[in-house]
Amino acid sequence: MTDAHRPRGAVEVREALVAAAARLLGDSAPGQISGRRLAEEARVNYGLIHHYFGGKEAVLREGFSRLSESYAAEEALDTAVRVSPFSLLRRPDFVRAIAYASLSGEIDRTHVVHPTLDTAVDWILGARADDDQTKVRVDVGMATVFHLARCLFASTVDPWVERDGEVQDMAAQVEERFVLILRALSLGLDPGTAARGEREPFRRSSAPG
Amino acid sequence: MVDASGDREISSRDALLDAAIRLISDRPPSVVTGRELAEEAGVNYGLVHYYFESSGDLVKEARLRHGSRLVEETMVGGTRTIPVEQTISDREIFGFAANMALEGAYDDDDVTRPVFDAMLRMVVDADPGGDPVHHRATVATIVLLQLGWPVFVEHNVQGLGLDSNADGELIREKFFVVLQSLYRSVGLEVDW
Repeated sequence: MTDAHRPRGAVEVREALVAAAARLLGDSAPGQISGRRLAEEARVNYGLIHHYFGGKEAVLREGFSRLSESYAAEEALDTAVRVSPFSLLRRPDFVRAIAYASLSGEIDRTHVVHPTLDTAVDWILGARADDDQTKVRVDVGMATVFHLARCLFASTVDPWVERDGEVQDMAAQVEERFVLILRALSLGLDPGTAARGEREPFRRSSAPG
Repeated sequence: MVDASGDREISSRDALLDAAIRLISDRPPSVVTGRELAEEAGVNYGLVHYYFESSGDLVKEARLRHGSRLVEETMVGGTRTIPVEQTISDREIFGFAANMALEGAYDDDDVTRPVFDAMLRMVVDADPGGDPVHHRATVATIVLLQLGWPVFVEHNVQGLGLDSNADGELIREKFFVVLQSLYRSVGLEVDW
């Protein structure tokens, strides 16, 4: 690399390091990312990690926040023209980062902000103001497990779903069921009913949250 | 051939594949070395290259063995569903599947899905004449939840401001109720 491409100054160096961390977190467990690797990916001197962040832990945390916040920003733009509620299918890097951190027992190290979960919880808490708050959070957590699993295991599940030759549009029809099931989980409705293709009515709570 | 040396040969190969399954349950295939594999299997390092042309070949064979072992052993030849308690605690199920998925090891088109197929056969037997879309969507959802829950639940618990200890019982109970509803919709009972 020529020096002309090297980040210079506090703003550029910090940005390069956080962006590098965000990229690397999508491809390996946090513990596997050394400070040297981080510096190399950001094309900055190793010593600058300590200088600007005090250590690589802080860089990794900010990298994880970056993934989470950029996904939230995209999702906010997307809500008006929502194509699929499985919005994380477009952000495999974020899904992978969560999975890597979780599988290596390091979720505590990377976990900082969850703007998208916060938004979902706020909306559903408002719609289900009569329900117990903890129960609502548990339901949203269950729906989010399904959402994340659907995205992490897309290439495990999708080819199998598509393989049925007897039903036309099997993949599209199953996708519709997935959407119904995700809705049922979020709202605390019955997932088996949703799997049968029935859209159970949901009455939005009238009481203010 | 089934002579004495043949038996040993077969078991070394399987020992390597079983070792690969154990190691990949803990970390992605790309960070498992041939030496670690040989040590874990208790066989000579040279055998790794003798049996497997490449790491891709080894990963593919491990995947096939993993699928057939799940169906033959855990699902008792496709006669019972995978116990929920086992899927959420046994890294050789969810850890293996997740680490393989993270490195695209399920991406090729010729991949078989023995566990999905076995579950679908059970569903069709339990609910003959039922809606094939319902059957396939239910099998896929159950597998996704049983594999995804142990990987993602802690992330969600933290992100939602829940407490693993205080709310743990409620979270697990919800998971069981959801699976029970899905299994029952296709005429099966959950195997804890």
